[in-house]
Amino acid sequence: MAFLIILIAAMPLGAAILTAVLGPRHLREYSHVPAVTAVAISFVASVALLFLVVRTLESSSSHGQQPVLEHVVQLWTWAEISPSGGSPRVPVAHGTVDFLRFQIPVVLRVDPLTVIMLVTVTAVSLLVIIYSIGYMHEDPGYWRFFAYVSLFVFSMVMLVSVSNFLLLYVFWEAVGLCSYLLIGFWYRKPAAAAAGKKAFLVNRVGDFGFALGIFLIWSVYGTLNFHDTVDPQTGEVYSAGVLGMARLVHPQEGLLHGGLATAICLLLFAGACGKSAQFPLHVWLPDAMEGPTPVSALIHAATMVTAGVYMIARCMPLFEAAPYALTIVGAIAVITATMAAIIALTQTDLKRILAYSTISQLGYMFLGLSVGGLVGVAAAMFHLVTHAFFKALLFLGAGSVMHATGGVIDLNEIGGLRRRLPWTHTTFLLGSLALAGLWPFAGFFSKDEILHLVYEKGRASSLYFVLFAAAAATAALTAIYTFRAYFRTFFGEERLPSEGATHAHESPPVMLVPLVILAIASAFAGIALGPAKVVEHFLAATPSLAAFANLSGEAQVSHGFHFVPWLSTALTVCGIAWAALLVLGPLAVVRPVISVMKAVALYSLSFHKFFVDEIYSWIIVRPLTWIASLAGWIDRYFIDLLVDAIGFLPKLVGSLLRSSHNGWIPWYGLGFVLGILVLLAAMFF
Amino acid sequence: MEKTALLMHYLLVGTCLFGLGTVGFLSRRNLIVMFLSVELMLQGVLVNFAGWDRYHGQSAGQVFILFVVAVAGAEAAIALALIINLVRGRQGLDVLRLQHVREDIISPPLSIEDEIGEVEPPSWPKLPRVGRPPSIPQEVLEYRPDV
Repeated sequence: MAFLIILIAAMPLGAAILTAVLGPRHLREYSHVPAVTAVAISFVASVALLFLVVRTLESSSSHGQQPVLEHVVQLWTWAEISPSGGSPRVPVAHGTVDFLRFQIPVVLRVDPLTVIMLVTVTAVSLLVIIYSIGYMHEDPGYWRFFAYVSLFVFSMVMLVSVSNFLLLYVFWEAVGLCSYLLIGFWYRKPAAAAAGKKAFLVNRVGDFGFALGIFLIWSVYGTLNFHDTVDPQTGEVYSAGVLGMARLVHPQEGLLHGGLATAICLLLFAGACGKSAQFPLHVWLPDAMEGPTPVSALIHAATMVTAGVYMIARCMPLFEAAPYALTIVGAIAVITATMAAIIALTQTDLKRILAYSTISQLGYMFLGLSVGGLVGVAAAMFHLVTHAFFKALLFLGAGSVMHATGGVIDLNEIGGLRRRLPWTHTTFLLGSLALAGLWPFAGFFSKDEILHLVYEKGRASSLYFVLFAAAAATAALTAIYTFRAYFRTFFGEERLPSEGATHAHESPPVMLVPLVILAIASAFAGIALGPAKVVEHFLAATPSLAAFANLSGEAQVSHGFHFVPWLSTALTVCGIAWAALLVLGPLAVVRPVISVMKAVALYSLSFHKFFVDEIYSWIIVRPLTWIASLAGWIDRYFIDLLVDAIGFLPKLVGSLLRSSHNGWIPWYGLGFVLGILVLLAAMFF
Repeated sequence: MEKTALLMHYLLVGTCLFGLGTVGFLSRRNLIVMFLSVELMLQGVLVNFAGWDRYHGQSAGQVFILFVVAVAGAEAAIALALIINLVRGRQGLDVLRLQHVREDIISPPLSIEDEIGEVEPPSWPKLPRVGRPPSIPQEVLEYRPDV
């Protein structure tokens, strides 16, 4: 396992360095070769690791009790500050703590949660990189693209496999950096440069909270490791990790409860909000669509934006110890999901619709997490995996449309493309069905799992019932906006923008093969993994979740009539029918409906994205601009004035003395004699 | 007592010479006369030396006087050369003709133009033109030290 996990991380890093060094001069149009090779090897290694983990679990589960798998690989110690004379270990209530020793070991971990993320990330990355060979063809920054993407894959792999909060933060920032670089990939385009800057700045807000959360964790637990550090000689645990088994076997004593725990969780959630584009920090993701479409698919739909979900899934024991924080996560998640779905209803840019859809689906994942425990994490991770496939598919399909239309993606300018782009059309349809959540596609199983859990929790808590109602309504909205986009792109009369009218053709096979593979995954991943609860059983072996596995055993949903799947299916079908009616129905019927809808204030709110950007502009950007211009004025007219005044002083003295330099020689002589007289006078008196 | 009276005489003569030289240096405009006045100041100092030499009964002062007289002779030779050059270039010995070393914006209280009208510029010898004019590089033509 140690070899595999190091290989998975090292290959993309090597490819990134190789492409960056050799790309511009030597590789040129072959710049994709290192990236494709490295990520393919990483993917194969991830799958091998998955099978290895499954086999290990099977062999150990025969003993009857819940198997736990955690394999820790220590590479080196990054930072170590120990006091002179050894480090005294301070016994405290939550286990032994070395407060005086600051140690950051570079440690990779293998456990089911990491393995699921690794397989998802490398699989989607591999397909997107292959797709990019066709999509980025003949771009002047071809090598740059593959260097950045390789670096991103490395950072993302490290993010999900490190075993330390500080390293998590480092790679959290590294994927943010790659996101910034790739959003602004076409940096000569002002909109792209501004979007990259916006993504970076908005993420700073969340990351600030994340950093504070890490500081709090350090000051409470005295360590930042996830795992327990075991003395190799004695086998005794001498530093209990924050999420290690030593704490989790006794969650009541081992973990912090109360207000401080809630604060830690909310700060961590702030970081997750920034990275995973949750309200109120969601504003960067729609703008991030300025980047190349494969980047939108890989980073801003499938992998990087799910880092927040992964982080909260990883820290689930902390959140379980702070139930208020979980409730807040649920509330924010539903607000985000519903709001983003409403916004997506009226947008006309295909990629923007998909971006808001991503925000909405991420909201679903957080909603799943907010249920808590193993079931919540399993539902969220399941949705994360299926969403990675079908949303990557939809984005790549949108990219294929852009490829045909010469980069135009505005729904007002394109339409009726299903004959020209048959493969794109079919795969996009499969992706749309998966996103809308129709049986038997992937979204149905994963989204229903979440809805079901929230419904079950809503029986006991009225707040969760409200959340369930909003989430179910969002499911209908999801179907409407997805199929509105689908029908407007592929149905109706054929419309092509002037840029692409002459060469609107199907994409090359190198772009279609990933689409087909992703479409198959979107169609069958759900039915393969969903009903048997594969993800849940697998994740139960994660150390931080194993503690809940036994607890949630008896809380399993009662078998019998399931009300939620029927409700969501009915809502989805209604949504699709409504979208079909609006886009394809007879104009005589549609016109009055549309005019009524436009009269409703919600339409305007949706069209203007709930004015969130405008609100930020008014309460943050403009006051900052005013302060900046005031500071600029003070700098120019006050501080500069002082400096100029000091500079003026020698000039003034000089101009006073200048009149004595008049070229008249007796005058100089007189000055000379007078000077001597003054000196003499000074000597004698 | 007598020694002191003798010293006082010496000092008196020396002071008179020095004062006359100073007044002459400040009041005269002719370069040669100004130079003579400076020499007069120098001689005043030398008389001073001689007086103190007598007073202390030593001969070091006289040795110094010999040195200074020698240096003054050398000075006079250099001054003469300078003055000859100035007369050639400026057509006169008046210091008002030498007021060019000053701030441009400051005008001296007196100038030679006030006294004798416009001074004709010195006439330089004219040489016949020979060969092609030298080609001046572009960067030299465009060199602007003040920009």
